[in-house]
Amino acid sequence: MTRGTLRRAGLLAAAVAAYALAAWAVAPGFYDGIAPPQPYRWVSPPPQVKATNQQPLSGHSTVRVASNGKVDPGSIFTQDGQAAIAFTPGVFVTPPDRSPVTIDIKPVTTFPNPGGIHLATNVYCITSSSPLAAGQQVLVTLQYSDQFPAPSDVYQSQADGPWQKIGNTGSAAPFYVSARATSLGCFAAGYAANAGQSAQGARVSGGQTLPIVVALAILVVVLAGIPLAVLRRRGAAGEDEG
Amino acid sequence: MLAPAPVRAVGLAVMAVGLEWARVLALRTPDWQALTLIAGGLAMCLLGVGRSREELGIGRSRLVERLVGGIALAGVLLLPAAARWGGGPILQPEFALAAVAVSVGEEIAFRGALFATLEHTFGPAVAVVGSTAAWTLAHALSHPPAFLPAVAAAGLLLAAWRWAVRDLVGPIVGHVIADLAL
Repeated sequence: MTRGTLRRAGLLAAAVAAYALAAWAVAPGFYDGIAPPQPYRWVSPPPQVKATNQQPLSGHSTVRVASNGKVDPGSIFTQDGQAAIAFTPGVFVTPPDRSPVTIDIKPVTTFPNPGGIHLATNVYCITSSSPLAAGQQVLVTLQYSDQFPAPSDVYQSQADGPWQKIGNTGSAAPFYVSARATSLGCFAAGYAANAGQSAQGARVSGGQTLPIVVALAILVVVLAGIPLAVLRRRGAAGEDEG
Repeated sequence: MLAPAPVRAVGLAVMAVGLEWARVLALRTPDWQALTLIAGGLAMCLLGVGRSREELGIGRSRLVERLVGGIALAGVLLLPAAARWGGGPILQPEFALAAVAVSVGEEIAFRGALFATLEHTFGPAVAVVGSTAAWTLAHALSHPPAFLPAVAAAGLLLAAWRWAVRDLVGPIVGHVIADLAL
């Protein structure tokens, strides 16, 4: 290996290390802004966006019961993409008549007083025609505005009860926040009012396919890299002998 | 008559950054977003017109190795997100073609044409640093400030590959996969 090759490899390794450090400091790390957030649609717009605000949209879908008796998996979005829930097979209780399960997501104008929480998004109430099975979870994802401080967590209120923090598992892109919930109800993202502007910002993402893409990338590199290295070595040895 | 090389290099950087900013500003209207992204990506590709494939780093030699290198770059770019994966929605289908157009366009413009011009004029160090700086500046309108160090580091990694391997196929492949996955 020549000094030039070593120098190049060293610079590449340093660049990989620098990227790993920088990308780890802010999630998701790599983000090219391909799907830009639409202007956030507020139920009650802040004064500075009142003139251009559009009303948020609701979401409605039905999920069928599969032949194995479990309610199918799915992702249900509002029509403007501002709120969504995702769930795996069997999360909802199978109706006795095996009829499809209806799920609705609606932005609401009235909700329990958030008290010491500053809500950074609309409040979305999610209902279904069949309850969640015991011990099961859905993933709730909410978009938030890029014009205001980012929320740090998702909060839930059930049956007009108090708001409770359910955390933040990360989301698919900047300006989205997600959390797992063990029951349906009303959801919003926000932060403690006395915390001021959230420094947390957008969190990690992924999409269902991301870990698979990375695993495949590693597999392809390993499987293809070994034969390529062997071929190169044989080629170099051949040249030396010739 | 051609302008002096330094002027051409600066002009190219201004054009590449300007095209990115124009695309981002156009995206602030809600209509035709995917089409705007595709048009923006194609416009960036035009900055490579008139240069040879070798000059841009997209020649055909050792293509398989460079494709594998691109997949490795994608793995590196996505690993921080995958390691902290929390699940959630994925890129909508209508934006998939747009993601390809934008990532190819950005690579041709920044690591292809601009890198080649800077390297020819000022040498490889300025090419790596200059193309990274222009790429970071180009993302200043579309990304919150907290994201820009990661953007700069990704640009540095891709530019380092471009210099070390004399290749743009790897960065194109890596960038396309990363954009499609996130």
